[in-house]
Amino acid sequence: MASRKPRDRQMLFDSVIALVFILVACVDLCDGATVVDVYRLIQYDMSGVPFGSRLASLNHHAASLHFSPHADLSRTVLLIPLRELNMSFVREYIAESKPLGGLIFLLPRMFSFENKDGMGSSHQDGSKELLKNVLDELEQILIHTNLPYPVYFAFEDDNIDAVLTDIKKNDVTGQPATATTGGYKFVVSAPEPKKVVSPPITNIQGWLSGLKTDDDAHQLPTIAIVASYDTFGAAPALSVGSDSNGSGIVALLEVARLFSLLYSNPKTRGQYNLLFGLTSGGPYNYNGTRKWLRSFDQRLRESIDYAICLDSIGSWENELWIHVSKPPENAFIKKIVEDFSSVAEELGFKVNLKHKKINISNPRVAWEHEQFSRLRVTAATLSELSTAPELLEKTGGLVDGRHFVNEAAIVRSVKLIAESLARHIYGHQGKNIQIFADNSNLAVNPSYVRSWLDVLSQTPRVAPFFSKDDPFVMALKKELEDHTDEVNLHRDVLDGIFTFYDSTRAKLNIYQVASVTFDLLLLLVLGSYLIVLFSFLVITTRGLDDLISLFRRPPSRKVKTA
Amino acid sequence: MTVFHFFNCAILTFGPHAVYYSATPLSEYDTLGTSIKAAVVYLATALVKLICLATFLKVSESDSFDPYQEFLKALIGFIDVAGLYFALTQLTHRNISQNHKFQAVGLGWAFADSVLHRLAPLWVGARGLEFTWDYILQGLEANANLVLSISLAALGSLMWLRKNKPKTLIPIIYLSAGIVATMPSITSYLRRGLGWHFPKVVGFELFTSLVMAFISWQLFSACQRPSV
Repeated sequence: MASRKPRDRQMLFDSVIALVFILVACVDLCDGATVVDVYRLIQYDMSGVPFGSRLASLNHHAASLHFSPHADLSRTVLLIPLRELNMSFVREYIAESKPLGGLIFLLPRMFSFENKDGMGSSHQDGSKELLKNVLDELEQILIHTNLPYPVYFAFEDDNIDAVLTDIKKNDVTGQPATATTGGYKFVVSAPEPKKVVSPPITNIQGWLSGLKTDDDAHQLPTIAIVASYDTFGAAPALSVGSDSNGSGIVALLEVARLFSLLYSNPKTRGQYNLLFGLTSGGPYNYNGTRKWLRSFDQRLRESIDYAICLDSIGSWENELWIHVSKPPENAFIKKIVEDFSSVAEELGFKVNLKHKKINISNPRVAWEHEQFSRLRVTAATLSELSTAPELLEKTGGLVDGRHFVNEAAIVRSVKLIAESLARHIYGHQGKNIQIFADNSNLAVNPSYVRSWLDVLSQTPRVAPFFSKDDPFVMALKKELEDHTDEVNLHRDVLDGIFTFYDSTRAKLNIYQVASVTFDLLLLLVLGSYLIVLFSFLVITTRGLDDLISLFRRPPSRKVKTA
Repeated sequence: MTVFHFFNCAILTFGPHAVYYSATPLSEYDTLGTSIKAAVVYLATALVKLICLATFLKVSESDSFDPYQEFLKALIGFIDVAGLYFALTQLTHRNISQNHKFQAVGLGWAFADSVLHRLAPLWVGARGLEFTWDYILQGLEANANLVLSISLAALGSLMWLRKNKPKTLIPIIYLSAGIVATMPSITSYLRRGLGWHFPKVVGFELFTSLVMAFISWQLFSACQRPSV
């Protein structure tokens, strides 16, 4: 008896120590909850038909694209890096709306507007273009599909990459993570998305009046320079639209700045009024432009000689397009085109004319100038796009980031616009006079262009999600105030077929969760630990006989053992 | 599922105390009153300790190891020993033997410590969705603490209650008691001075607690021998 007691004890010691070491060895795996910024896919109704992601809150286990082919994914959120996305999956799962618990797309850091440097160096141009095309296609599919589950976008970073690697490892080794196998749980706690009630649109107009020769200012003709400033994209919180139409805004502001210099001196003040308009509602058939134009009084509208609309002029090489809806034989159009193409020739690139008739019965307005043309105002759109985009296409979505915009192109566009306008205003047609020559004090300022482009490329501008008196709108207003005599805000409500839902960004909590089996196992281990401890204590303090007698007490046992 | 985890951790943290009470003769002699009294003494001691800590210690901004502050902290930690002395010598609940008294006091002491230090974090943390090993480790730490408390109580009863103990063992008893009493400071040093991780610290605590338990048990039985 005496010799047996220490041996038992020794064994117990060993097992306890072994248990401790097993537990200690497992500890390295764990880390705290990770929180990631995520941006929700837009949710909207078009003519009452639902589109986009219809849910915001998420609470599911995560899986990667390596899920087993026959798994039920209706309670699983898929974490998909854009780099590994293949379109067959997209077509199978998204377009055919197979059930999923949720989707999270991981975008490469280069699409993040916070990532200003380190661009192009790490990625080759070829793969960059490829990713851009994939993302473009994905965005169009997502926008035009009704997805009955939450869809989010996130940017790759070290934390989420580590999580993704873990998830992939899990998926490759066995079954996808569910409540019984543990793994990662993705939780977004967001309230039910609510309709945006009467989404506001705010048009900003700046007026630079010309030199009056006689008393009546209304006699002076007006030239309008217009750009729409809002965007639409798969993720409203990421739709910064550097090219569409950030480039147009920047060009408009720079033209306003240049002409404000000219107009500040009575000697160089032209006999034309200049009207600068930053319009909202661009992606929705230029709804804001229409409202703005209709708010003009008849005399002002008739005094507009012509309007130049700027749309996507930030990433072209050597060709720009002037889109018109009146026939090219029209005298006004001819004059505009002549002005532009002669200047373009001097600057060393080409401006082409493209004529597209308006179909009044068709609600689709592809170009901003068509809204002017519908009200019989001569207008043209200057753009790098040769064909009219479809509805909700090229509206400054996910791919339209700062890195795909060329500042030099904007600078050349500004030169073209300013010089052509100046020739028209001061009547220098056909003469080779450079008013805005480089190195003069009227030269285009590249740093001004760059800084505004940077600001615009960091500001999501989906109009329905702007608050009243949004700081960005106020900033634009203030900038125009600096360059023009009079600035007005024209407020209205976006109407038509669109309904939007809020909750555009959220925080994704990533939890590493233990499985039920683990908890059961732990309970088993703890139970046996306590039993062993109990027996050990009874043996050491009261002796082995006592322990045995504890179990012998029930009479039925007694019979059995006897 | 997460309540399940909480339940598991609670078993690990508080289970051994209950098992100790029911498995040893403590339950037969009904020493619960002594344990409760010891727990109350622990609460009072903890209050005094908190007041001392608040009075004498600066709030350190960084998590670094400052020897002077830690020395003060260790000194304040000896208030525990005073509390234990009070519990062992002044409390008389019925007429229980020394043998059971120190166990009851140590058990009450450790249980109060666990409730005070571990119940709230467990309730807040272990029910969360995120799984960490922290609460399991904390439960293991509670086990180590139980063993250490009982060892300290045993050594204390040897020091203060037993009159006829072998002279040669006295320095060893005092040395062991000193080591056990400074264990909180030692672990604090390991964690922050040497930057050990929590699992390693807990492993160390478990190991030392078992060693100290063994030593105090040997000492106790050595002192028992002449009187038997």
